[in-house]
Parts: sequence; structure tokens; C-alpha cells
Amino acid sequence: MDNELFMNTELPPPSEMAMHFEQPSSSSAMLNWALMDPNLARNSPPQDCFMWEKSTEQQQQSIFDSALSSLVSSPTPSNSNFSGGGGDGFIIRELIGKLGNIGNTSGDICGAPMNGNVSRSASCYATPMSSPPPMMNRTAPLTEFSGDPGFAERAAKFSCFGSRSFNGRTNSGIPVNNGEIVNSGKLTRVSSTPALKALASPEFASASRPMIPAGDSPPKLPGEFSRKRKSVSKGKSKENPLPAASPSPSFSKTAERKEVSEEKGGKRRREDEGDEEEGNKGTNDTKPPEPPKDYIHVRARRGQATDSHSLAERVRREKIGERMKLLQDLVPGCNKVTGKALMLDEIINYVQSLQRQVEFLSMKLSSVNDTRLEFNVDALVSKDAMISSSGSRVHESGLRLESLSHHNYNNNSQLHTNVSSNNMMLHSPMKSLEPSALARGFTHLPTLTQFTDTISQYQMFSEEDLQSIVGMGVAHNPNHESQSQNMKIEL
Amino acid sequence: MASADKPINTDVPEKDVFALHFLQSLSNLRRQNTFNSPEKTNDRVKKIKKAAYVSMARAAGGTNRLWSRALLRRAAKENNKIVRFPRRKKRVTCLRRRSNRRDPVEEEEAERLRNLVPGGGGMGTSKLMEETAHYIKCLSMQVKVMQCLVDGLAPK
Repeated sequence: MDNELFMNTELPPPSEMAMHFEQPSSSSAMLNWALMDPNLARNSPPQDCFMWEKSTEQQQQSIFDSALSSLVSSPTPSNSNFSGGGGDGFIIRELIGKLGNIGNTSGDICGAPMNGNVSRSASCYATPMSSPPPMMNRTAPLTEFSGDPGFAERAAKFSCFGSRSFNGRTNSGIPVNNGEIVNSGKLTRVSSTPALKALASPEFASASRPMIPAGDSPPKLPGEFSRKRKSVSKGKSKENPLPAASPSPSFSKTAERKEVSEEKGGKRRREDEGDEEEGNKGTNDTKPPEPPKDYIHVRARRGQATDSHSLAERVRREKIGERMKLLQDLVPGCNKVTGKALMLDEIINYVQSLQRQVEFLSMKLSSVNDTRLEFNVDALVSKDAMISSSGSRVHESGLRLESLSHHNYNNNSQLHTNVSSNNMMLHSPMKSLEPSALARGFTHLPTLTQFTDTISQYQMFSEEDLQSIVGMGVAHNPNHESQSQNMKIEL
Repeated sequence: MASADKPINTDVPEKDVFALHFLQSLSNLRRQNTFNSPEKTNDRVKKIKKAAYVSMARAAGGTNRLWSRALLRRAAKENNKIVRFPRRKKRVTCLRRRSNRRDPVEEEEAERLRNLVPGGGGMGTSKLMEETAHYIKCLSMQVKVMQCLVDGLAPK
């Protein structure tokens, strides 16, 4: 309801406001406006902007009437102005002054309908709505406001709409000619609600550029602009966007945005926002919605959802999606699976299986007669160079001999089976090496180093290479020494 | 603030590096007196397993990877050794904490992943994915190395 309020609410000329002020169906807002001179023609049905007045309890009517009468009857010079019809600004100012007094007396009255409104409207104004009563009790701000006629108008009109907006207008120093400001197309000057604060910031930044050429900007704009830019360029900064300090001359736009925000709730799709905003505004903001952001400078798209949260969310999701693709390539058999949940399940299973494999292999290793494991570390280290240098040679020879091994390799069926399996072909050469190694004892460094050599180098090879080497070893006589020597030569 | 989309680096060294480290650790294990004798195989298995992980962490990531650091730190803690890592350029873990990096929707699976990958608890989800990718690669490499070794040394 409040949205509708704002939707239709252009800043009316003061006379209209004066008329609106005295809606008989009482509400707290009515308190503000009903205090107008009853001589003023009672306007016919309130506009939608004042619908919420109707919603309030009628019981307040009597109280307001009494207040009204008290006001009217109070002999003040301003009352004479009421009937004058001109200088509505003065009227309003006086009203506000009176409001202060009345607020003291009937603050509770204001409170109750406020809350009633709040409950009924169920808008984001809930919080700010509850604050006006205390505000109204303060006379100081009101008197201060009365100094500025234009501001007084607005304050009077919207003082109950939200404390934030109130404050916003406090700081803004709105010029009297509201119409100009409205037409200057400061679209993205969002004032009040928290829901729109984040809306304000990206919109502000995106539209600020066209706004600046529009001129006629309140003095606060440049500062706000820079701040907005900073916040947007930070992208995902959670910093509070401009407080309601930013004046919102175009309450219609505000209303639209508020409506949008309320309809869609907290998070909404950026595209929808952009479309709707465009449809609603359709003014100077000629910038199309921002294209997909680059990653360095995350620009806020026009009509960006509530806050930088969704911006950050989107970038984050893209990052995660990217990495999921990476993982998909790693994990075998994940191409068919789509969707994050299933993918993650697959990944988890794979990691678990790998870890189980490690455990199983370590068990096997521990049970191995690992006297051979007493490697000479220095030898190992010194072999590094050899390994790397000879690796290339081995690969070539391995590839060359691959065909040979495939054809000639009939001798040992066991080797056959081993060849097919992964790295199983090491069995026979290893076996042949074992006795030799054991025979020599462990002091024989060459054998040991040879052993480690072969192991390390075997592990470098692909299956084909190993096959070839094994084939070579088998093709020659299964002479242990010669075998190892041959292997060494190969290597 | 959002960094440029630089390619994610998940390179792992060759098998021989892994093999080297693992064999070194195994030989170190062998030198321990308590290793050979006992009949309690569980101890040995655990030690070998730990050696495998530690050597993998050293071979693959060193201190450049979060998971390897976490692994090494965990292992050192078990040995009551204090491990000091050189200071990284960015405080990776602390910076990310405040950012909104977790999403309740995907968090359940991510939680399981965090339990699996060492050091997963301190990472954001996107970083977790990166580390998982590297971890998977290293794990598979280590498995291959160990398989080779087992096959090579298996008594007939």
C-alpha cells in the first residue's frame, strides 16, 4: 500500500498538499494534514498515495478531530493564513510547529495508528514507521525544519513515512522548486528503505553519469557519486550504500523501486530488475544493462538486485562453476554427471577411493619384505640427474622397441598377463634382480642404485615403454646379470 | 577486488619426484630400529601411510599449497614437532573468512569435501575446489608410485 502511495506521488504543488492534508478519515498522517484549516475544501477521495490513511482505525477520528479543533481554534497569526489560501508553505510550517505541540500530547495516538499502519502495510517501512512518534515528540527538529518552506512541505507530507526519509530530507537541502528536480531525472536517487539502499548504490553509479549532465544536481551529488563509484568498483563490498541522506526528489521512482523490491523480496534476478527498471524509468538513463562483468572491475548492473550480495554471489558462483569443470576433467567418469551435487558426490567418492588405495598399498608395502628398502639416499639423489637425462633416451628406445616386444613376446605367459596389467611387468625383471641383489648384499652399491634406477625409471615410463623394456629383457636370455646389464644399457 | 580470471594452476610434478620422496621416506623409516622388528603391523602400516602422505605433500606442493601445508602441519603435530612455514605474500586464510563464501545450498557436500581434503576447513568453497583438484592429481600420482613399488617388491 505504501508503495502505491509513492507510486502516484509526485511532489504536488503545495496547494494540493494543503488539500490532501485534511483527509477526514483519520490516521496519524491525518494528524499532520488534517490540521489544516477545515475551511479548506475537503477534497474528495484521497489519492492512492493516501490510501493508507483509510486503513487506519476510525476510532482515532474523534481524537484527531479534537486535536484539529484545538489547532484551528488556537489563535495564531498563521491561522489567518489558512484562510488566505496563499503561502501554503507558511501553513505547513505552522502545522509542523503545532505538530510538535500536539505530538507531545497525543504522541501515543500517533503511535497506535502508526503501528496499525505498519501492521497493515507490511512494508519495509515497518521500522521507520514506528519511529515517527518519537520524532514527533521532538519539537526541535520540527522547528528547524520550518525554516525551509520547501523542506517543510515535504517533511510534513512524508514525515510519517519513515524516519529515514525524514532524515534524508533533513540533510539534503532540497530546493523549493521540486518540479525541477523531479524532471532532472535523478532516477536513482533512492532515499529511504533499507531494501533499496543497495539498489541505490549500483543504480546511482550507473545512472550518475547521465545525471550529471542533467545538471541541477543537489550539492551532495558529486560526493555521493564518488562514494557510489567506489562502492561499486569494490564490487562486492558490503559497505552500506548511501544512507538515506541522498534526497529523493523523484518519489515516484522511489515508489517504483520500492514496489519492485517488495514484490520480489530480497534477492532477485538482475535481468528482471533491469527490465522492470527500464520499463518504469524509461528516462534519461539510456545505459543498457551492464554486460557480464569482467572480473577485475565488477560493475553493478542496472537494476541490480538488492545489494552487492547478489553481485558477489554471482561472481562466486561462476568461479565455483569453473572449478567444477576442472574437477570434472580430473575425475574419471564425471562427464555424464551434471549438476553440482552429483558432481561433488563423485568427487568425494573419488577422493575417498584414492585415499583408501593409499592405505591399502601402504599395508601391502609394510608386509613386503622390505630389506631392499634400505636405499642409499645419496645414491638416490645422485641418480636424479641420470634419471632425468636418460629418461628421454629410454623413451625413444622404448617407443622404438614397442612393436618388437609386441610381436616377439611369447615366451612367458606370465609376462603377458603382467604386461596387460598396469606396471605388472616389473615382476619378472624384479624377480630376476632380487636374487642378484640379495646375493650381493646391500653393500654393492651399483646393484642397489641400479635397482632404484630401474624402479624410478620404470615409473617414468608408460606401460608401452615398460612392455618394450621387459620384452627386451625377455628376448635376451633371462640371464640375471645380462638382463640387468641390458636394462642398464637400455637405460 | 575480484581478481582477474587467471588460469588455475594445478600442475603436479612428474612421477619421479614423487617416487624419490617416497623412497627417501621409506628408507628413513627403515633406518629406524623399531620399524623392522615389531610384529604389530598396524604401527608399521600407519607409519608407512603417514610417510606416504608426507612425502606426497613435500613432493607435490611443498608449502605452496594449502592442503600440503595443512598435511605437513598435522603430521608434524603428531610428532610433536613444530613446523614453521615461510610467510606467504597474502594472508590467505584470514582474508577470506569474512567474505560471504559459503552458501547453505551447496555447503553439505562441500562439508564432506572439507573433511576429506586436508586443510579444507579454512578455505572458501572456490579455493576448496582448487585444492581438491590439485590434491586429486597428487593423490593419483602417489598411488601410481606406490603401486609400482609394491609390484616391484612383491615377493613371489
